[in-house]
Amino acid sequence: MSSPATEIQQERAPLLPFGKKERQNIVDPLSDNNPITVQVLGICSALAVTIQVNRSLVMAAAVIAVLCTSNVVISLIRNLIPPSIRIIVQLAIIASLVIVVDQVLQAFLYDISKQLSVFVGLIITNCIIMGRAEAFAMANPPWQSFLDGIGNGLGYGIILVIVAFFREILGSGSLLGFAVIPQALYDLGYVNNGLMVLAPGAFILLGLMIWAQRTWSGYTEEA
Amino acid sequence: MAFSNGYVFGFATVICVVCSVALSGVSLSLRDRQELNRERDLHKNILFALGLPEDGGQLDGPMIDELWEKRVQQRFFTPENKKAGPELDQDGDGDLDQLDVDLARKGAEEGAKPAVLSVYVRIDGDDVGAIAVPLNGKGLWGPIGGYLALDPTASTVMGATFSAPKETPGLGAEITEPRFVEQWKGKKLKDGGGPAAIRVVKGEATNLCPDTLDQCVDGVSGATITSRGVDEMVATAVTYYDAYLKNPKGAF
Repeated sequence: MSSPATEIQQERAPLLPFGKKERQNIVDPLSDNNPITVQVLGICSALAVTIQVNRSLVMAAAVIAVLCTSNVVISLIRNLIPPSIRIIVQLAIIASLVIVVDQVLQAFLYDISKQLSVFVGLIITNCIIMGRAEAFAMANPPWQSFLDGIGNGLGYGIILVIVAFFREILGSGSLLGFAVIPQALYDLGYVNNGLMVLAPGAFILLGLMIWAQRTWSGYTEEA
Repeated sequence: MAFSNGYVFGFATVICVVCSVALSGVSLSLRDRQELNRERDLHKNILFALGLPEDGGQLDGPMIDELWEKRVQQRFFTPENKKAGPELDQDGDGDLDQLDVDLARKGAEEGAKPAVLSVYVRIDGDDVGAIAVPLNGKGLWGPIGGYLALDPTASTVMGATFSAPKETPGLGAEITEPRFVEQWKGKKLKDGGGPAAIRVVKGEATNLCPDTLDQCVDGVSGATITSRGVDEMVATAVTYYDAYLKNPKGAF
């Protein structure tokens, strides 16, 4: 099938190309195609782990690790997976990777793994990971899938950290666990906003962010 | 590309085997570290309930082990508050340890006291500075447990720690949070005469038991069953440890 000309081209192509298309893989999901604010995926964990910034950082790192690995693995075997059982195969791979991440956290970051409790396990059901496996990794080579994983993971992580930033400051008066609101302000009658510690606080913040981001990027939902 | 049925089954089998081998490998290679973490976490919580370290500072890995070795002893006795010896050994390894206490508790008939009990004590020089009484009970989804730290006369609570591995985060698992745990400090485990349990009430203790406020703590909203579980496990411990709590120095 391949003519000599394309073979030469393939030989010249770098092993890990990083051109315009690859940059798009990373940059797109950060804003224009953000998994949370545009695709509205992964909301459950975005509500659950955004009480404190350090929890959401660990959660974001865990999701990026799972997303990149699952994308690469699924992309590597994409031509071998029979279409009739592809969803089950994707799930098995994702579930195994999540359990590995959970075990590693329990072994090396025990305190944080205790705080994240069930939510690490729930990465399995995070629609972003299944979504990227099905929409991207099944149709693209490993390197691009890896970049796509980084991009979408970061897009998810950024929103998580921004929401957590406001929730922690307004709800607990701290940042990364350190008190940042001066005691003098409390003496003047300032109180932490209890709503921010609860799930509705996250809902409201997330709604505001989706509004702001869509106004800025001009994205509209198709009717 | 069409895949035959045989290929589909074969592929599924290969994926399953590869995934399970990988998971077993990871789980095996990390198990020791995880168990060490869990044990240290438990020790850290007991130390904290017992008021260690005295300066209230943070503890990390090896410091926990060192403090645990130096300052904490486990003591074994019978429900009649007699010092327990190897004759009460349950697992047949010749001496008493935590496993024997667990076996005795599980082996005890409904309503009967286990054959061997234990407490952790904080050693201050030659004296006992505090006592940690173990608690075991049922939450909503699974077992809950904890330690109630008492002063040397076993009348006032110095601290507490609870564990609720199966309870819902944000609801039942709130019993492990400082907001619930801090309430226990200063409560009295005695009413006039003998040892009496501290009650966990549904709502605010200030309204519900104003007369016996030093024997009441607030339950957790939205976690009625877990709060009741804590209430019951303290009551059970007080029944089991009755003789010891009356005279904690008796056997030693």
